[in-house]
Amino acid sequence: MKGKDLVNIGIFSAIYFVIVFIVAMMGTIPIFLPMLAVIVPILGGIPFMLFLTRVNKFGMIWIMSVIMGALMLLTGMSWQPLVVSVVTGLLAELVYKSGNYKSAAKAVLTNGVFSLWIGGNYLPLFFAAEKYWASRQNFGQDYIDAVNKLMPTWMCPVLFAAAFICGVIGGLLGRKLMKKHFVKAGIA
Amino acid sequence: MTGIFTADAENRGLVLDPRTKLAVMITLVVFALGNTGSDIAAVRYATIALCALPMVLLFTAKKYKKSAAAGLIYGLMKAAEILLVPKASGAVLSLIGVCCLVFVRLLPGLIMGAYMLSATTVSEFIAAMHRMHVPVQITIPMSVMFRFFPTVLEEFSAINTAMKMREIRIGGRNSGKFIEYRLVPLMVCSVNIGGELSAAALTRGLGTKVKRTNICKIGFHIQDAAVLVLTAAPYVLWILGLTGVVK
Repeated sequence: MKGKDLVNIGIFSAIYFVIVFIVAMMGTIPIFLPMLAVIVPILGGIPFMLFLTRVNKFGMIWIMSVIMGALMLLTGMSWQPLVVSVVTGLLAELVYKSGNYKSAAKAVLTNGVFSLWIGGNYLPLFFAAEKYWASRQNFGQDYIDAVNKLMPTWMCPVLFAAAFICGVIGGLLGRKLMKKHFVKAGIA
Repeated sequence: MTGIFTADAENRGLVLDPRTKLAVMITLVVFALGNTGSDIAAVRYATIALCALPMVLLFTAKKYKKSAAAGLIYGLMKAAEILLVPKASGAVLSLIGVCCLVFVRLLPGLIMGAYMLSATTVSEFIAAMHRMHVPVQITIPMSVMFRFFPTVLEEFSAINTAMKMREIRIGGRNSGKFIEYRLVPLMVCSVNIGGELSAAALTRGLGTKVKRTNICKIGFHIQDAAVLVLTAAPYVLWILGLTGVVK
């Protein structure tokens, strides 16, 4: 991997993170919080598909994924996203590598797998839930039931699945835009 | 967002080592967000003290308004959690309960993140990463990224203005093209700027195998020691709590 590749990773990570950041701003309204797993993979798919046209060496997707996880730690979203992004980044890398860094169908799938890291952001909210209840027994069963109704545990895998499916949709959208604009402009 | 790692190095008050800030962040994540040891009363109190730390730090960095706003929101949320939640019922309970569950735990970490980004320079951050032996494959993209954030935002606001003039906005005549007509030009110009950045990076020796140097001085001082002691407190109390010394 040369300096140019590393600079490319930095640039596309910046664009991707700006999208994450703008969408996360909407997430401060609790109802929109789960929507992160839907909107980010779709919008992020557009720059990510362009990024993939510049990937031809092992590790570039992985590094971008690790950087996303590290940024989540830096901005206070806990360490779980970092752990998830290290694993899903490697998986995404392997998926794209299996298509020799060229296959268009694999690229769409790669965006789906890559997007899984967004699900990691929700883990701290589900993970420590039991400990949280244990120290708040005095709030009563009413409270626990009420919150569980809004944040049931089965939501967790659903959010991961949503991230994957929307990642594939975002990948297709990205491909469409790439054919329409970037190939013509000669930058894809 | 424009404030990411663009600290005014001369005029920012108390200077902490980036590694100290990282330690505070990780501790906040473990105790405030992760609720580690929250069944031990002493750890709970230490965690509350720890949660106040980011606001104090923001204050020392001369971000008075931000600090006050953060303190107010956190105070209200924590008070609501302690006072309102046990009394509420039904739909109100669900709403307040979820707000508290999410915000009381997330907020301290987010405030610390805001502090870390606004009171650290890119050089300091990279120097700290270097000292922690993070590989260049991670540090170079990250430094490019931080350098690039202000550019992306500047370009984005210019594109936004242009598209508004063409009635391409939410609620405008062409709202269907809202996203496409913003993201596509943004990426085209980013790619071009990226080419220039690559050339600039080469002149700074990013492409070579030699070990890079950094003139930025970082190190631990008295203020770091004070913050680190406070950071270590919850861990010590937690261990003491597990062994049954304190409750």
